[in-house]
Amino acid sequence: MFGKGLITGMRVTWKHFWGKKVTFCYPEEKLPMTERFRGGHLALNATKCIGCKLCSLNCPNRALELTVTVDENKKRHMQQYLHIMGRCLYCNLCVESCPTQALSWDKEYAISSWYKEDMVHDSMSDQTSAAVSEVKPHE
Amino acid sequence: MPKTETFILNMGPQHPSTHGVLQVQLELDGENIVHAKPIMGYLHRGIEKLLESRTYVQGVPYTDRLDYVSSMNNNFGFCRVVEELAGIEVPRRAEYIRVIMAEFNRIASHLIFIGTLAIDLGASTGMLYTFRDREDILDLFNLVCGARMTFHYIRIGGVAADVQPEFVAQAYAFLDKVPHFMEEYNQILSGNEIFTRRLKGVSQLSVEESLAYNMTGPNIRAAGLPYDLRKVDGYSVYPEFSFAVPVGKKGDNWDRYQVRFREIFESAKIIRQALDGLPEGEFMAKIPKVLRPPKGEVYSRTESTRGELGFYIVSDGSTKPYRVHIRRPSFVNMQGLDAMCRGMLIGDSVAAFSSIDPLMGEVDC
Repeated sequence: MFGKGLITGMRVTWKHFWGKKVTFCYPEEKLPMTERFRGGHLALNATKCIGCKLCSLNCPNRALELTVTVDENKKRHMQQYLHIMGRCLYCNLCVESCPTQALSWDKEYAISSWYKEDMVHDSMSDQTSAAVSEVKPHE
Repeated sequence: MPKTETFILNMGPQHPSTHGVLQVQLELDGENIVHAKPIMGYLHRGIEKLLESRTYVQGVPYTDRLDYVSSMNNNFGFCRVVEELAGIEVPRRAEYIRVIMAEFNRIASHLIFIGTLAIDLGASTGMLYTFRDREDILDLFNLVCGARMTFHYIRIGGVAADVQPEFVAQAYAFLDKVPHFMEEYNQILSGNEIFTRRLKGVSQLSVEESLAYNMTGPNIRAAGLPYDLRKVDGYSVYPEFSFAVPVGKKGDNWDRYQVRFREIFESAKIIRQALDGLPEGEFMAKIPKVLRPPKGEVYSRTESTRGELGFYIVSDGSTKPYRVHIRRPSFVNMQGLDAMCRGMLIGDSVAAFSSIDPLMGEVDC
């Protein structure tokens, strides 16, 4: 009978209409990000950083702009660490290449901005313990 | 008898059913298509040249951007070529994990195919159901590699990180759900009279024609040729798993839909076997910090979601490839569009286009 398939399909839709919801109300509800989540802002733990610049060397798209100074004892100091989010591929190569595991992603994924200038994030701006959390980058 | 002439109708590049930015120039005789000419290049990013200007390791995330709904398969293809070039032996556990991820991605991609085919034919409800179930796979990927789309998980020498026990548990839970949601699609779409009439007997391509257009993947299998590189080449650990290669009979839109539909079950079968037999051991081979493959050239191919994905790399012994060429299945499969559309109505061109399942990221590269 022509139309039988349509009715069968409608029955499925009708069943789900009263069934359990599979969506949630964003932004009132937010999903927790996974431990290995890569995205958002790059956070640099300045106390761990040795200024080797391996992260920017490994970056495929030059998304990291680093300013490093060398003191009289030939020790390197990271002065400025800019993460240019517009260029970033979020490939995680910087985090994985860090020998002291000073880099980590924050779990904030809502990072869209109105202006291009806001796409540059100073990764050293927030050195509070919450921002530079002890999130272990995955092995 | 009044004199008539054909006229040109541009479909796209801002047409919702072209799955991105493709322009199809339709030459029409009344409502019938005389000639359909795909015009490509709107999404060209020069990925081959980008790969040539970066090191091998840095190039892997760019392959994610080729066929962005099945990135795992692209990573897999590229990494296999570089490993062959550099003579890297991949640990068995890594090979198993790669197969699991590639097959999960195949399911996710086929779910998108079913959803977009449905919405292109006007059944917008069908799309929501397939995207609901694809979400579970994306959650699995998010758990294991921290990304939902551009995964960069399969690396040169293995995979980025080992799978967690909760991933394995969730993967089994998903596999248990597969027959249920597939039955739902059967009820919503496959049994729907409008859906079947739009697909059955429309845009047929024979095996000879498909071969002439060099089509691969589900498109040629729908015509009746069981050509699947997982069986033909038997690369990676695929020979260790038992699975069938679904084939169609006529090569029409319906067969192309059915082949992909049945492939989801086969992929689920492979994943279950791989999870059952997942060996212990390393997930990454020892590769040098600076990778310099010896001079030479390699072409290697894998069965991507859309067909034969081949990478041709020439190495001059430096850290960067001298030349990269990518054989993208979507681009090659698009050649059949004209033959599929000839003599059909404008509405059928949308169904034909959708049943080829091309992806613009891969067509333009």
